[in-house]
Amino acid sequence: MKRVIEVEELTRVEGHGRVEVVIDGEEIKDVNMAIFEGPRFFEAFIETVHYEKVPDIMRRICAICTASHSLASIRAIEKAFNVKVTEQTSLLRDLLIHGEMIESHALHVFMLALPDYLGFPDAVRMASKYPKEVKAALRLKQAGNMVHNIVSGREVHGMNERVGGFSTVPSEQDLKQIKMVMAATKPTAELAVDLFAKLETPKFAESDNVLMALDPGDKFGFMGDYVLVSDGTRHPVENYQALTNERTVKYSHAKFSSYKGSSFMVGALPRVLLNKDKLEGTAAALYDEHKDLLTQNNTLTNNLAQAIELVHSVDRCIEDIDALLSNGLKNEGLVEIEVKANRGTAAVEAPRGILYHDYTFDGEGCIVKCNVITPTAQNAANMEKDYRAAAKRLISEPDEKLVNASNLSLEPTTHAYPARCT
Amino acid sequence: MAKPKLGIFSLTGCGGDQLMILNMENELLDLLSYFEIKDFQEGSSYHEDVELDIALVEGSVSTETDLKRLKEIREKSKTLIALGDCAIGGCVQAMRNGQMSMAERMKKVYGVEEDYYDVLEPKGLSAHVKVDLEIPGCPIEKTEIFRAITSLLHGDLPETIDYPVCVECKLNGYPCVLVEKGMPCLGPLTTAGCDARCPGLGLDCIGCRGPIPDEANAAAELDVLLEKGYDEKYIINRLRFFGGNFEDIQKLTKKISERRNKTEGNE
Ligand code: SF4
Ligand code: SF4
Repeated sequence: MKRVIEVEELTRVEGHGRVEVVIDGEEIKDVNMAIFEGPRFFEAFIETVHYEKVPDIMRRICAICTASHSLASIRAIEKAFNVKVTEQTSLLRDLLIHGEMIESHALHVFMLALPDYLGFPDAVRMASKYPKEVKAALRLKQAGNMVHNIVSGREVHGMNERVGGFSTVPSEQDLKQIKMVMAATKPTAELAVDLFAKLETPKFAESDNVLMALDPGDKFGFMGDYVLVSDGTRHPVENYQALTNERTVKYSHAKFSSYKGSSFMVGALPRVLLNKDKLEGTAAALYDEHKDLLTQNNTLTNNLAQAIELVHSVDRCIEDIDALLSNGLKNEGLVEIEVKANRGTAAVEAPRGILYHDYTFDGEGCIVKCNVITPTAQNAANMEKDYRAAAKRLISEPDEKLVNASNLSLEPTTHAYPARCT
Repeated sequence: MAKPKLGIFSLTGCGGDQLMILNMENELLDLLSYFEIKDFQEGSSYHEDVELDIALVEGSVSTETDLKRLKEIREKSKTLIALGDCAIGGCVQAMRNGQMSMAERMKKVYGVEEDYYDVLEPKGLSAHVKVDLEIPGCPIEKTEIFRAITSLLHGDLPETIDYPVCVECKLNGYPCVLVEKGMPCLGPLTTAGCDARCPGLGLDCIGCRGPIPDEANAAAELDVLLEKGYDEKYIINRLRFFGGNFEDIQKLTKKISERRNKTEGNE
């Protein structure tokens, strides 16, 4: 007997997706995870555009990781033209990407993932029973947005971070304000860790899992020029094509990736596990306390890893602001840029995992060729692997129970990885 | 009184307009409590297929699936509101409309000749169905959506903005980056409502709120920027960032590329 279990429209994801599990008797015939967010063809239409506004366009690939796109784009351009930026610029960028992590993780952990575990369709309905917690979560999310507003100029698709620096340097007053808000909302970040550590994480999707994350250098963070893989290898980001091996599939608008023939995972769990020794302060202590719960082969523990990153990011924002203020804010203007025909590749850790931008420019500084690989595209094949593992474990259940169980399993698996971006 | 039934939907875009609604952290819970939320793809797995009083739709129509969904939404909604640039003029993904075929785009990005995904040339909603109100922005401004929602609660449609970013620039007393620094600002033809955010930061407007409907003068902007020393390719690309579907800009592109082909042919 053939059974098809389908979740038509995945919800509470930042994008459109669908999963289909085809079961024949005792056998899983097929598992298809389709991302069907309409294709927008950024890599095609950006050709001939002058570098200076390229980040402004490319960041519009995704709203929730807009600053990650803009920073990956800016860094790829700077690599192509050999631009070195000031320490102040680096600190402001670091602040921005940590702010984005807070905004995105707070939304994801509390509003998209937690309702699954507490049995609500959404955070608004969850607020009827847990008003204090939902409001605190919204304030934490707002703290992240405050960084977007002040450093980037707007919550979604800002414009203030440029190739070569910042157009307007934030005021001391504004930075102090962010610091105050961060300190005040830190307990909510810690609450996230506490909640996800206490919740029982289902194990039905457990299966072999390859991890990839950027090497952030000495300290835990979200930018770097090398990729770490859980097989112990380390690769320059320029080799990204060999790491991802993207291929077009007919049923999904997001391409599928593989590394040495197997799917792999990018995101918070890979970052925390591959860079655990670089965590500091409260985040390091919380990691130690809960490390047994973070298992490489259970992608559902990603939510706990996100919570730990929330704590790290709150602390890092404060640290960056302290450094900026003690150095004294300077109106430096942008670094002079000399364009040349060249190629540049850069990567950052977007909230959902590694994001690559690769551009080739002509002698006038206009795009000749562009390639972007999003975390969603890298994770799609891995999600399929998880759904398959879950379906296998649940196959012996009778029909009705199976549909229920599949819904139960597909939802949290979906919300362990958030999706978007084609 | 029964609460109005509200649905929030997204077609092809970046999800930024739904995110701006979720970003109303202080007002969100109160605001949504005035409605019965029947659909909110980005924020809820709750879904009820019923007649709606108000449908907010973000994203462009870029695939056959988008078009089918849009028609269904239109069918069941009393008031349909286009949220953000994608839903109005197709946004950045419409940049090459009339310049690059969909087949060429498929080939460049997916490396396949065939149309795997039933893609359509990206368009705003009004190219396909009747739209009752358009709220511009990439993304929309929170204040604007807040005002729109509260007006709708009172049964009115909010007023729309029909003047350029330059007006807000002047009101703020910002120095003009076009006149004073020669930066290629699109403020003169772009719909205001962002409080001249970019000039306020010392940057030139890239037109992210879209050309002012029926008012934007693309040819005049072209002349100004040519005079400032920018070349035609640069200017046309820039006018197309958020204006690929606008008739004026399409005509201008055509005129210039025809002229270019002619002079190249003569050489
Ligand atoms: S800076 Fe731009 S928006 Fe402001 S007045 Fe000048 S042209 Fe207009
Ligand atoms: S100034 Fe122009 S580009 Fe900047 S936010 Fe306003 S409309 Fe958008």
